[in-house]
Amino acid sequence: MAWTRDEAKKLADKVLSYSKAPECEVWLEASRAGHTRFAANDVTTSGTADDMTIAVVSRGGGKSGTVRVNSTDPADLKTAVARSEEVMAAASVDPEWMEGLPSQKYPDIKGSHAATMKAGANERRGDVQAALDLARRKKLNASGFSENTTRWSALASKKGNFGFFTATTAGFSTTMRTEDGTGSGWAGLEAPNFAAIPGAELARRAAKKAEDSAKPRDLEAGRYTVILEPRAVNDLVENLVNALSQRAADEGRSFFSKPGGGNRVGEKVFPENVTIRSDPFDPRLAGRPWIGGAGGGFLGFGGFGAGNFAGLPTRKTTWVERGVVKNLSADRYWAKKSGIEPLPQSGAMVMEGGTGTVEDLIAGTERGLLVTRFWYIRSVNPQTVQLTGLTRDGVWLIEKGKVVAAVNNFRFNDSPVNLLKNIEAMSAAESTGDMVVPGIRARDFNFTSKSDAV
Amino acid sequence: MTPSRRDFLIGCGAGAAAWLLPGGLFTARSYAAEITPEKRRELADLALDAARKAGASYADIRINRYRSQIVTMRSQTDRATGKLNQVPTVADGETFGFGVRALAGGAWGFAASNVVTREEVLRAAKEAVGIAKANASLRREPVRLAPVPKYEDVYRTPIAKDPFDVPIGEKLDLLRRAGEEAKKVPGVFTANGFIAQRVEHRWFASTEGSRIEQHVYQIAPEMTTTAVEQGRKQKSRTYRPHSVTAGYEAVERADLLGNARRIGEEAVNHLKAPSVTAGKKDLVLLPTHLGLTIHESIGHSTELDRALGYEANYAGTSFLTTDKLGKFRVGSDIVNFNGDRTKKESLSTCGYDDDGVKTRQFPIIKSGIFVGYQTIRDQAHLIGQKESMGCCYADSYASVPFQRMPNVWLEPGKAATTLADLVSGVEDGVLIDGRGSYSIDHQRYNFQFGGDSFWEIKGGKVGQMIADVAYQSRTPDFWGACDGIGGEALWENVGLNADGKGQPPQINAMSHGCAPARFRQVNVLKTE
Repeated sequence: MAWTRDEAKKLADKVLSYSKAPECEVWLEASRAGHTRFAANDVTTSGTADDMTIAVVSRGGGKSGTVRVNSTDPADLKTAVARSEEVMAAASVDPEWMEGLPSQKYPDIKGSHAATMKAGANERRGDVQAALDLARRKKLNASGFSENTTRWSALASKKGNFGFFTATTAGFSTTMRTEDGTGSGWAGLEAPNFAAIPGAELARRAAKKAEDSAKPRDLEAGRYTVILEPRAVNDLVENLVNALSQRAADEGRSFFSKPGGGNRVGEKVFPENVTIRSDPFDPRLAGRPWIGGAGGGFLGFGGFGAGNFAGLPTRKTTWVERGVVKNLSADRYWAKKSGIEPLPQSGAMVMEGGTGTVEDLIAGTERGLLVTRFWYIRSVNPQTVQLTGLTRDGVWLIEKGKVVAAVNNFRFNDSPVNLLKNIEAMSAAESTGDMVVPGIRARDFNFTSKSDAV
Repeated sequence: MTPSRRDFLIGCGAGAAAWLLPGGLFTARSYAAEITPEKRRELADLALDAARKAGASYADIRINRYRSQIVTMRSQTDRATGKLNQVPTVADGETFGFGVRALAGGAWGFAASNVVTREEVLRAAKEAVGIAKANASLRREPVRLAPVPKYEDVYRTPIAKDPFDVPIGEKLDLLRRAGEEAKKVPGVFTANGFIAQRVEHRWFASTEGSRIEQHVYQIAPEMTTTAVEQGRKQKSRTYRPHSVTAGYEAVERADLLGNARRIGEEAVNHLKAPSVTAGKKDLVLLPTHLGLTIHESIGHSTELDRALGYEANYAGTSFLTTDKLGKFRVGSDIVNFNGDRTKKESLSTCGYDDDGVKTRQFPIIKSGIFVGYQTIRDQAHLIGQKESMGCCYADSYASVPFQRMPNVWLEPGKAATTLADLVSGVEDGVLIDGRGSYSIDHQRYNFQFGGDSFWEIKGGKVGQMIADVAYQSRTPDFWGACDGIGGEALWENVGLNADGKGQPPQINAMSHGCAPARFRQVNVLKTE
C-alpha cells in the first residue's frame, strides 16, 4: 500500500482521534519489498511482500504503552488505541520518562527513486542472469541476492508533530566459488537507487576474486600489515560507531569512557587523518529524517526501541575530527540530566579517506595481506572495542607492491581502535551502501589462527 | 547473525511500582479483521484455484496471525541521587496476513500481503505465478518436490496457562522484585529482566489438499546483571531459564526471583576474577553454554541448503559436503545428535512444517559419524532421498518458507554420569556456564567461543571463578575430543530465541538439548 503524505496524515489523525490518553504517538510504515535469490547457478526464491505496521504509543503520567497492528480498518485502529491505553495503565512509572516532542522540523532528504519503486522480477532478472551466465561460462558456482524495497513512513502525535518520508533501498550481491571449492569471491553494493547498482560489474568482480583466490598458499597466523578493502573497513569501523553513546561513556561502559569518570569528548584519541561523521543527506546512503520507526527498533515496536531518541530530527554531525572526539550521542533523558542538548545518532556514516585506489595501497606495500571482507564479528570487550571474526572471500599476500599469492583465511582478535591508530595510508572513500569508507593500509593487524574455511 | 525487525526475543530492559490488575488485561481485544474458519477456507480455495489457472503446478497459502508481547525492566541506581531507578517498557503486538507460494515453469514465485481479502489473495496468487514464470527460464532444471501425504489436522502447543491472559502488572512486578533483589548485591550496576512471549496461529493449505491449523506458543523469561569498572572493563551474568514452547507456567517454574541475587554476586565476582592462563586445557561445558556451541558447530553444518551452496552468499556453506554423508567422522563414538521437531517444549517443535510435512525425529550424527542432513521438500532428491525431514519454516506470512534448523539435540551419556564424575577426571581445566562471545567461520570449521562465567578446575575439583576465557578449535577436532557426556538426569532443553539466516534475513527459534560434556585439551585463549 503506497501512501501519499495526505493519506498518511489522514490515517494518523484518525488514529489520534481515538486517543483518550494525555499523549499519543502513532508511527506508520507501509512497505513493498521484492527480491530474487539465486544459488548453485540457479534462481531459487523470488517474491514480493506488501506489509504495514501501525504502532500506537499511549503516554501519560510517566507511563507508556505500545501496541502494534497491521490493519487500517477503523474498528481495528480503535481497538489498538484502547489496548495501548490499557498497556499504559498496567505499566509502571518510568523514572526516565520524557514528555512527548512538540512539532519538529524534519530535514528534507531525497530518499526515494522511481527506478527502485518500479523494479519487479523482470527488472531484477537482468543482473541475476548476468551473474548466472558468467558463472556457468567460467565454471564457477554463483549465489546471490537482488532486492528492492520502498517504505512509506510517517509519525504523528497529539502534540501536533508530523513527518512523512518515502525511502527506497536496493541491493545486489553475489558470491562466486570455484568448482574445486578452493576459491571464493564476493562483491556487492546497496544504494537507494536501483539504477545505480552495477550488477553485471559486481558479478565480474566476484568471479575474478573467486578465480584469483583459488588454491591458496598456506600462511601462518600472526601480526601483518593489512590492506583492507572498503567493505572490510566498514565491517570493523561500524563496531566503533556503535560505541558513540555519551551515556555508555559517562557510565564507564565504553571505549569513550574516561578512566576515573566522565567521557573523552575533546580528547585526541585517533591520529590526525581520522575524521568520521554522519551525513543523512549523502545520496549514496539511506539517510532518514528522524530516529525510530514503526517497523524498526526493539521487537519492531517502533519508537519503543529508540527510547528517548524517538522522533528527534537527524542532522549532519561530526563525531571524530582530525582524531579528536567531537561529539557523542545523547538521548533527551541523558541530555537533560547532563545539561546538554540532545544529539541523535543520525546514521549515514562517512569516514574520510585519502586519494587514489586500493591498487595504490597495494603498490605501496612492502609485505602485507589484502583482505576482501570480514565475517561473524563479535565483541570480546566493549571497553576496548576488542573484536573477533574471520576473513572471507579472498585474502592475498602482497610483497614489494605486488599480489604474489592467494592465502588461507584467518581469525583475527583486534580492535578498530588499533586499526585506526595504525593507519599508514588510505584510498579515496567510497560507498558500501552501509557507510562511506576508504580502503586502509594499517600495520600490525592481529591474526590469531588460520581458518580452513573457503 | 543479523537480527531483523522481526526479532521477537532480544533482551534490554528496566522498572518501578507495578500495578497489579485483577484478571485479564485485554478486555478491548476484538478484531474486525478476525476471519472465520469458513472464510479462511474460502480465501485459500480462491487463491489456490487462481494459481492453478494461471499455470502453477503446485501452490500453497499460509494465512497466519502472530501475537507477541514483551515486558522489560531495567533496574539501575541513579549516580546523582543514589536512588534505585526501575525503567519499564511494555509492548504488545499483533500482525495478520497471508503468503502464496507457487511453482510454475519449474521455478518458485511468492507474493504476500497484510490485506486478507478476496481481491488481494487473487492478486497475490497471480503475482506469485507471474514471478515464477519470469524466472523460469533462468533455471536449468525444474524444482522438484518430495511427495507428502495430504493432512487435515490441528496442532496446539500444550500449555497450562495462556501467557496472554496473565496481567502485565504481574509480569512487571516479578521483574521489579527480581531487579531489586539483584541490586541488593553491592557492585551490581544494572539488572535487566524481560519476559517475552509469542504465539503463531498458522494455517496452511496446498493444492495437494492439505489443510493444517497450528497454534504454537513460545515463551522466554530472562535476567542479566552487570558489574562495571569505570572505563576499564565490565562483566555480566545472565540467568536464562530455557526458552520453551509452553505457557506462562514456564515463567512460574523459572524462579527469576530466587536466582537474582546469585547472578548479581556472580557478576561482581566475575569482575574481580583473575584472568585465565592461556594454553591447552580440558573443558567441562554446562548445557546453558554447550547449547550454543552445538548450534553453531553441528546445527549449522548439517543444514543441506548450506552444503548445496544455497546460503553461500550470506550465512555461508558447510564443511560437511554431500560426499561426506554416511562416512565422515565429526565426533567421538559417544557423540549422537538428532534433528527433531517433536520433542516436548523444544522451541521449533510443532505438528507440521511450512511445506505441510509432518514433523519427526531423525538422526544427524550417530556414534560420531555424520548420517543425516536437515532437509525440506525441494531438496530431498538432490541427495537421493525420497522424503523431507520437515525442516521448512518462514518467520512471517510475508517471508518465503525455506530450510531452517530444527531442534538439534545431543543424546545424554549411556551411564548415569554426574557433573562430579566429569570434573573429577580433569587435572587442569575450565568449567563454563552460559553464552558469551561466539564467532565461527562460514563453513563451520574454525570457532572461538566465550562464555558467561568460568570456574577453574584443578586436580579434579571446581575452584575459583576466573575471567577472560575463550576457546578456539575446529568442529571435528572439538567433538572428537569429547570423552564424557552427563547422564539423562542432567539433560536440559536449551532454547535459542533468534537465529538469523537467509536473504532477506529471517529469524528462527530452536532448542539444543544436552547434558554437560567434557572435551580434552582444547586451545584456551586469554581474551584480555
